[in-house]
Amino acid sequence: MSKIECDHCHLEFDASVMIEDAGHYFCCKGCQGVFHLLNESGLERFYEKAANTKLTPQTTHYDDSETFNSASFYERYVTTNEEGFQEISLIIEGIHCAACVWLNEKALHKMEGVIEAHINYTNNKARITWADHTVKLSAIIEMIRAIGYNAFPYDPSAQELSANRQRKDYYLRMAVATFASMNIMWVAVAQYAGYFTGITQDVKTILNVAEWVLATPVLFYSGWVFFKGAYYGMKNRVVNMDILVATGALLTYIYSIYITLNQEGEAYFDSVAMIITFVLFGKFLEVLSKKNAADTLDIMSKQVPSEVNVIQDGDVRSLNINDVEVGSIVLLKAGEKIAIDGEVVEGEGGIDESSLTGESEPVYKRVGDTLVSGTTSIDALLQYRTTKDFAHSTISNLVTLLEKAMRKKPHIEQMANRLSEHFSTTILVLALFTFLFWWFWPHDFETSFMVGISVIIIACPCALALATPVATLVGLGLGARRGILFKEAAQLETMAKANVIVLDKTGTITKGIPEVIRVTRLAPFDEALLFALVSSSNHPIAQGVGRYLDVDTPQSLHEVTQWQARGIGASVEGNTLLGGNARLMQEHGIDASVHSKHSLFYFAVNGKVCAIYELSDVTKEDSLQAIESIKRRGIEVVMLTGDHEENARHIADTVGIEHLQHSLTPEAKAAYVQQRQENGDVVIMAGDGVNDILALANANIGIAMGNGSDIAIEVSDVVLLGDNLTALSDALAISQTTFKLIKQNLGISLLYNAITIPLAMAGYIIPLIAAISMSLSSLLVVGNSMRVRWSLTK
Amino acid sequence: MDSWVIAMMLGASLVLGGVALIAFLWGIKSGQFDDKEKFLNAALYDDESELNDAAEREHKKKKLKEKNYRPE
Repeated sequence: MSKIECDHCHLEFDASVMIEDAGHYFCCKGCQGVFHLLNESGLERFYEKAANTKLTPQTTHYDDSETFNSASFYERYVTTNEEGFQEISLIIEGIHCAACVWLNEKALHKMEGVIEAHINYTNNKARITWADHTVKLSAIIEMIRAIGYNAFPYDPSAQELSANRQRKDYYLRMAVATFASMNIMWVAVAQYAGYFTGITQDVKTILNVAEWVLATPVLFYSGWVFFKGAYYGMKNRVVNMDILVATGALLTYIYSIYITLNQEGEAYFDSVAMIITFVLFGKFLEVLSKKNAADTLDIMSKQVPSEVNVIQDGDVRSLNINDVEVGSIVLLKAGEKIAIDGEVVEGEGGIDESSLTGESEPVYKRVGDTLVSGTTSIDALLQYRTTKDFAHSTISNLVTLLEKAMRKKPHIEQMANRLSEHFSTTILVLALFTFLFWWFWPHDFETSFMVGISVIIIACPCALALATPVATLVGLGLGARRGILFKEAAQLETMAKANVIVLDKTGTITKGIPEVIRVTRLAPFDEALLFALVSSSNHPIAQGVGRYLDVDTPQSLHEVTQWQARGIGASVEGNTLLGGNARLMQEHGIDASVHSKHSLFYFAVNGKVCAIYELSDVTKEDSLQAIESIKRRGIEVVMLTGDHEENARHIADTVGIEHLQHSLTPEAKAAYVQQRQENGDVVIMAGDGVNDILALANANIGIAMGNGSDIAIEVSDVVLLGDNLTALSDALAISQTTFKLIKQNLGISLLYNAITIPLAMAGYIIPLIAAISMSLSSLLVVGNSMRVRWSLTK
Repeated sequence: MDSWVIAMMLGASLVLGGVALIAFLWGIKSGQFDDKEKFLNAALYDDESELNDAAEREHKKKKLKEKNYRPE
């Protein structure tokens, strides 16, 4: 049979299943609906623009749009701007190409009452402005859904907004500084040529005035950040680098104006512009690599449904989770997330508690057992009585704790910051003494002042300001190429200082999913049959067996039955198949008395056991080697786990970890990290699951595995895309090399100052030498930073 | 060569450069460089109908604003 492309989503399907409609073919009703809607509203040019991009077929139908108009929803997400219009931030799902952005914006703009819809293609975030008296939010979201996308609101954190604003502000200041400095350099070339070959005073004055015009915006617009920093520094009685930069640049600027007006001597406008531009560049690099503030709360709230089905007076009614009272009876279906803590009153089934314990094997719950919010029902259909309201449930508590932890994250002061304080004080004092010394020697005020200023100019912390950012940037680039993403540059330095590394067991040291470790075959059977049987279940054990078998040609089964937390049964060609645990076998009168500390999966055909699969969570291939190399760096390795002692001890022995803490709750993990920090240790925590997030947020450096949960990736400082522990030891290597480089860079810039400052104090510095030495020292620092690449690749 | 020639040429080139700088700053401020992908694709979505849309949006905004302030 031939395959046909759907005219909306461009996915290919068999001709027999396609819906034919006036010469067009569609894979489903949803695509057909969207196609007609676009044609009717004159948006068919979308298909031209999208070309052959594959889209997501429109399959799901939503009926919750009324909730978007509720007052509580408006209060949380909708803001009113100064013009009296409403604004909301949305994340649009299903954007594949630029044409999707075009279509969404166009469709929304066509709506009566929508004023502005701006969608960011890179992160799929949208900002929509509308007039609420003309169109309701529900209508806007329905429109987005009608054209085949989905939208959900998010609460842009104040941090994120201010980080974006700050970045933009720096772009503007950098643009002005770069433009002016580059032009000043052209003019300065003429100045220097004149200095050596002779130049008339009036041409010199013209050049000085041009430089003056160019240097003014650099100093007062681009350099404003330094004046602000200097002001705060003085207010807190700290001599920081900003004070040095601001006083140096300002004094030089004033002196140069005096020279220009007096038409005698050499002006230093080029030094003013260069100091500001170089140091601003260093600051800009720091801002650029600042961690993007997380939309933590929103990712967390995606973990729970916004509504639950409550049984009231015999009726099932869906209620907003915030309105559910303590003691309500909630209906939980298979696959649903539990939103509120409670106690089972009816039904039974397997619950995935990996978000709390990290263990992927489901826990069997029956009447009287407690349910914890944030966990998921695998196959359980049950009713539970809520014992807490949503605000006091485990998941909400976790969010509160998390926010607290992220706010007061321990901060290790960077070496360059500590150094710059002493450095700045020393230079300012030296400059003052030089000036006084020359003045009382005696010299005229003009000469003494110039010599004093030349000390500040030559000591200008260009190299010092670039020492850390350039080295860390190179380190970040190297990490990124090996799949190690540092979210903030300063973390490289902190990581290099760490002396304890805390590892989560499941998903970090181990694979986190059960794998077949032993097979006992008792009778011959067709593996394709077993594969078909286990494929019909989403239980981790069954899937583990399925991955082990990996048969290409699945057979079709009849009468597939699932026994909750026991196994699966089916029949094919008169044979009865049974697959599951010992309890299932016993219930069907089959002898299953093999004992093992691992999970067992029995496969029986017609009441006779054919094979026994033994499954266990195994360590990743590289764990042992990576942990050894981490230990060789002199770092203590500790394993934390929510699992019980026997399992934990076994895994720890396999990978060579001596210290371990077992049976820990998420809070206890965080407490352990905190306790180590109180003892003066710098702690790295590596984990992957929701159960690790508190510890990740508390640690000096939180490292998330690439396939970990979204929330873990969000709260951590470093993400390992490679998902193995080798990447972790690589990350340590990169951070330690980078830190060594930072120290070298600082050494270079200090050495340079030790040579040039005495020269300046003796009055030997002319503008050209100042400019050249400034560039040279910066070049040395940048060049040295590039070495990181060799020292790691060799 | 008289020194006013230098002055004039310097002045003229600085003004020209300044105009380009201001245009660039305007571009940053109005968010044209915020979205890298959209910026790269801008040429595909920049024709007459987009211009009409923008004008229509302005018009709509003004109308809705009047409605906003109407005492009810």
